[in-house]
Amino acid sequence: MTLPASTAPAGWTRRGYGIAAASALATGVILWSAFPLSTGRAGTRPALAVAIVAGLMSIAQLAAAAIGNRDSDSFAVLDQAAQWLTGLVKIMPWAELLIVAVLVLEVLHASRPWHTALLGVALTGYLLAVHLTETRAGGSVLRAQLPLLCAGIALTALSVGAAALPHFMASPADAAIRIVVLVAAVVAVGLAVPVWLSRPGRPRGR
Amino acid sequence: MADSDGREPLRRLAVHWTLSAHARRLLVLAVAGVALAVLTRRAEFAGLAAPALLLLATWQADRQPEVTVRVQLRDASLVEGVSAAIDVEIHGHELLDVRLLIEPTDTVLAGEAVDVPAGHPARTAVLRVVPTRWGRYSLGVLMITFADRYRLTEGTAVAQLPFVSPYPQAASLQSSVVLSRLPSRLGEHPARAAGDGIEFAGVREFVPGDRQRRINWPATTRRGSLHLSTFSAERTQNVVVIADETADVGEPGASSLDLVLRGASGAITRYLAARDRVGLIIFAGRLSWITPGQGQRHWYRMLDLMMSTPGGWDRAPGLSRLPRAALPPGSLVLVFSPLLDHRLVEALRDLRERGFSVIVVDVLNTEPAHDGSRLSQLTARLWHLEQQAVRFSLTQIGVPVAHWDGVSSLDTPLAPYTRRVLVAHR
Repeated sequence: MTLPASTAPAGWTRRGYGIAAASALATGVILWSAFPLSTGRAGTRPALAVAIVAGLMSIAQLAAAAIGNRDSDSFAVLDQAAQWLTGLVKIMPWAELLIVAVLVLEVLHASRPWHTALLGVALTGYLLAVHLTETRAGGSVLRAQLPLLCAGIALTALSVGAAALPHFMASPADAAIRIVVLVAAVVAVGLAVPVWLSRPGRPRGR
Repeated sequence: MADSDGREPLRRLAVHWTLSAHARRLLVLAVAGVALAVLTRRAEFAGLAAPALLLLATWQADRQPEVTVRVQLRDASLVEGVSAAIDVEIHGHELLDVRLLIEPTDTVLAGEAVDVPAGHPARTAVLRVVPTRWGRYSLGVLMITFADRYRLTEGTAVAQLPFVSPYPQAASLQSSVVLSRLPSRLGEHPARAAGDGIEFAGVREFVPGDRQRRINWPATTRRGSLHLSTFSAERTQNVVVIADETADVGEPGASSLDLVLRGASGAITRYLAARDRVGLIIFAGRLSWITPGQGQRHWYRMLDLMMSTPGGWDRAPGLSRLPRAALPPGSLVLVFSPLLDHRLVEALRDLRERGFSVIVVDVLNTEPAHDGSRLSQLTARLWHLEQQAVRFSLTQIGVPVAHWDGVSSLDTPLAPYTRRVLVAHR
């Protein structure tokens, strides 16, 4: 008895590449945000531990999703524990936890705008890799998102420039104003891009 | 209920729209980045959140809450272990990609998810399933997942797949047992009597009235008088298959009942293909039968009877009260049974005494579990001796018992009876 012809080998290869890419990016963002450890404030090491655990679990989550459900009828303690652990790996939002832990690690270091910008790009890449692996989709599904990603990276570069500007005014409101302006710019672009994308006559390419 | 052209009707299904997991992660990144930017007054964190915010900005809230779907099994009848196709037709949400995934029940294997791209108002896809057991059960549910271009919104609809009744997989049987005495019906088996068949039987002297085209010229030349060739008549035979459904022992999927049904199905298929008249008697909780007949419709009737007859042993009577049409005299009787019910054994003895040619295919491939204690071993030995005695007693009265393991072809156990004509005793 055989299952119908499927694309299992190709699917597994794609999933394997996806998991490898997500693993590399998760490792990269953790290392990038954590080091140098010596310059981090108090709490860097616990945050790093949380980030490592969350990163490992998020990769395990992807692998578990690729393997699929294997229900066991066994009542052995080890089997039950394995099932419970698998359920825990699958149900927890490990990727979200990794994002928060990595951002906290970055906050615990002194301001380094270009470093944070690169972290943002890598985190976005990690999320896209996780998404592609989860949905077993090819990279072509990102084609529609490419203009948005480019605009987002441009805004990230803008924020690096804004953060790197010398402090002309020493007033306490200076930093707050800059933040508000930047958030306003992001929101404005965010509102403009969908309108631009859905303008009449634009080809709906995929 | 199917519509006038035999297709299942379109069904309206509710679609449950949620943020996708991808969107949730982007949202966490965006909110965390902006919050940290405000709290720490570090502008670079707002920039870090920018790509995620922009991707989220394309989210659309207005989605239709329903979708119209048609789910149709391509084949009217399924067979266990044989792949079946399910045609899915989706109307609406043409701008969204669709992923179709079958979540099967325990007795069904399903293929990979199928992705259907956006772009057409009515989209179709073919999914494949393999029912692994005979019986009646649901195939499972069909998960229909819609996703927008940016993979931010997910809409999920669930369609119940139909209940199916896959037939047992017919055991392989290439040869057939042919009796020496065949009824006077036109068929495909060469009989002993001379007739208008195509199998050469002999040469005899010409008598007035014989057809000239049958003159055997070599024999005529040798003997100096007209001789002609004779041919065997071609007759059909009546075959009655008895399926013993009183017991179901052994591993699920390879139990005695599974083997009975597969073996009976294989025999029915083989003899109907040989243009024989095949009947079926179900020996179970109640005695059910179908008189011998021919054709594809008859095949379906017999398999449906096998599937629908409840098992059990409580009220199974003997075979002596069966009408003559259900068990025509001179029939070949093929019995598929684990021989665990003494009433069936008695009925087989009775059949033999009435002159039927009976062959029993023994499908018992298991034995009662025992714990290794002395008493248990003694019990197991007694059970073995009893089973041997039952088989020996049948053999002694001229009922051959052939053991079938359910894995190999049925040709193997039946080989001693298919290589030559089985002499029908009276």
